[in-house]
Formats: sequence, C-alpha cells, structure tokens
Amino acid sequence: MEIQSLYNLKSKFVAREVGNELILVPLTGNVAQMSEMFTMNETAKFIWENITETTTLEELENSMTETFDIDSETASRDIENFLNHLEVMFLKKR
Amino acid sequence: MENQQNTIYLNIAGFSIMLYSNSNFELEEGYEPFISDKKTTEADITIRCFDDMPIWPFSQDELVFEAENEDQKFYSIFHARNDLGFLIYDQQNLGKVQQMAVLDKSFTKWMVFSKPNSENRLFPLKYPLGPIIMHYLTINSDAVMMHASCAFDGTKARLFTGFSGNGKSTISKLWSEAGNQIINDDRIIIRKEEDGYFVYNTPMYYKDISKRAPLGAIYLIRHSPENILNKLSGALAISKVMAFCIQNNFEKQFIQSRLNFFSDLCMHIPVCELGFVPDESVVNYVLAHEKGGNK
Repeated sequence: MEIQSLYNLKSKFVAREVGNELILVPLTGNVAQMSEMFTMNETAKFIWENITETTTLEELENSMTETFDIDSETASRDIENFLNHLEVMFLKKR
Repeated sequence: MENQQNTIYLNIAGFSIMLYSNSNFELEEGYEPFISDKKTTEADITIRCFDDMPIWPFSQDELVFEAENEDQKFYSIFHARNDLGFLIYDQQNLGKVQQMAVLDKSFTKWMVFSKPNSENRLFPLKYPLGPIIMHYLTINSDAVMMHASCAFDGTKARLFTGFSGNGKSTISKLWSEAGNQIINDDRIIIRKEEDGYFVYNTPMYYKDISKRAPLGAIYLIRHSPENILNKLSGALAISKVMAFCIQNNFEKQFIQSRLNFFSDLCMHIPVCELGFVPDESVVNYVLAHEKGGNK
C-alpha cells in the first residue's frame, strides 16, 4: 500500500486513543466482524497520526527515527509492515 | 395478546416505549412481561404501527448497510432526508420483505409498516425488527446491546460473550446449575447508571420476566482443554468486548459513541479471556481466580 493511499483511507476509520495505543474501527456497510477492529501499538499509532496529505515516506522515517531512537532501516521496516497490515485489513473488509 | 386500545407501553431495560396504531395489533408472548401500565410516563421512543406497506420511498443509491450472512439477508438500511429506512426480510421466505420501518433523525420516532398474517393478525415487532429497535434505543444513551449470556449470583452479574458456538449457552447453564439466576443466554443490554453498570434482559421468542443486575465482570469465552483465565486491559480489552456488541457501523457517530462507552466500561469492569472445560469445574475455577467486582 502506498502512503497516499493510506491517507485516503484514514477518513474511513474512527480512531480512539487509549493510553499509548489506538483503536481503529472501520466504517462498514456490513455487520462488523471482530477481525475488522484494529488495535495499534505506540509505533503504529505514531505512523497513523503523522500521515497527512503531503507526507512523504522519507519524512515519516525521519520523524520516527527522531521520536523512537531507532535507525532509518528499522523505521522503514515498521512503516512497510504497518502499511501491509492495513492493506490486508482493508482488503478483507472489502 | 390483542390490544383493544391500540396503544401498548413497554419498559425494556428501563427504557419506556409507546406503540400505537389505528389498527389492532399484537405482540409476541415474549413481550408480555415487559408491558408497563405507566401510561402517563413520557416515552423514550414511540412506534407508530401501520397495517399496510407503502411504496418504498428510498432508492438503491441510499442503501448504507446490509445485515446478511451466507444463507440469508436479515435487513437493509437506507439513509436519506435525515431518516433511516429499514427493510426487514422474512426469515422463512428468502427475499420477501416482512416489514418496512422509518426512524427519524432524533432516533425516537419509528413508523413500522407491515401486513396482517394469514390469520389477519398484525405483529409489528416480529423478529428481527424488535431487536433492531432495541439496538437503536441504546444509541441515544449510555447503553449497548451485546451478543452475550449473563449469570447473576445475587451480588454481581458475570457476562459471557464470544463467537457463535463458543459456549455462551453452555456456560450460562453451568452457572445456573450452580445456583445463579440467568439474566439471558443470548442478548443483553448494558446500561451505565448513576451507581454503576447494570445488565438487563430483553424480550425473546419465549416468555421470561424482566431482569436487572449489577455487572461485575466480563468474560470472553472459548472452549479449551483446561480452564484458563487471562486478564485483559487497554485497547485490547475494549476492542475485543466491543466486537460482540450489536452495531451498525455505517455512521461515524455510532462508532464514536460505542468506543466512548466501551472505553469507560473497560476501565470500571474487569475483562478476562476465559478458556473453559464445559463442566461444573469452570464455576469454581472462576470463583477462585477472578478478582471480582467493579474496580
């Protein structure tokens, strides 16, 4: 999933912050299933909250390395995993 | 239970409901224990019943939600002109519309359209419309409806929820055999009230008295080769419990109100995953391992 695609998806979810975690619930036209609800840890929550219409992958990586004291390779992997995870979730609910 | 006055008041989970019609109508026997004689009480919702079905005023473009499984469709929801329209399907005749209903934007005024059956008897709340109305009854208040069973030991109620087939009826039977009162083994309304959270039963297809009990714990159940309890907290607890609430998530405000409700609920009521052996051992296991009561 591309980062801009994720930005476009954000409006299809309702988010609730719980401590350092985030719950995402998708808007849906069908009876909700448990697998469609999504809890995010601190890193995923950071990615979700920092994606805007103009955010680039590089900017997001830089923000993560500064915030979480991780190297750019780890940040890149976390972002990729997150995008893949969300894509699977989104495709499942389609 | 034919209504001669064309008005019936119900009290379900502490909510006041007024049904009225120019025609005679009836309710299934499961509603009888919920009939209230407090006719002066201002109703939380009103349901006007008609004995015919009009031309459906919503278009296919206005379809926002469908409740169906692989075998059948239960209902469809349409949204237009600030109203929600419901097409309710007959569970015995695939694809046949059983009732039409319209709910206004305040979620307090229903119009229900249905035709008398072959015996010329009109049942406006015929399943599944009754539970749908009860679900929308909770939208305007601190309340939710859950797929759950619930047992009350005289001090606190334990709510058991999980996927279909995970043992909700089995575990409530085991608690019943241990002397507990079963609030219900399928559908429960939870309300936040001044002095805590309370569970209520709702009308079923069979007759049962109206019940209310203080909620003390929530268990997410599954069958297991051994009894095992795992306490949950935070986002995981909230999302797992909310997954078993009855919800129509086509509107952000519905989801937001549910998230708010369950966030508060899970801060005050312990939530545990419970793997259980389907015999009486689970009751003693839970009693020995839970840290009971509201936090």
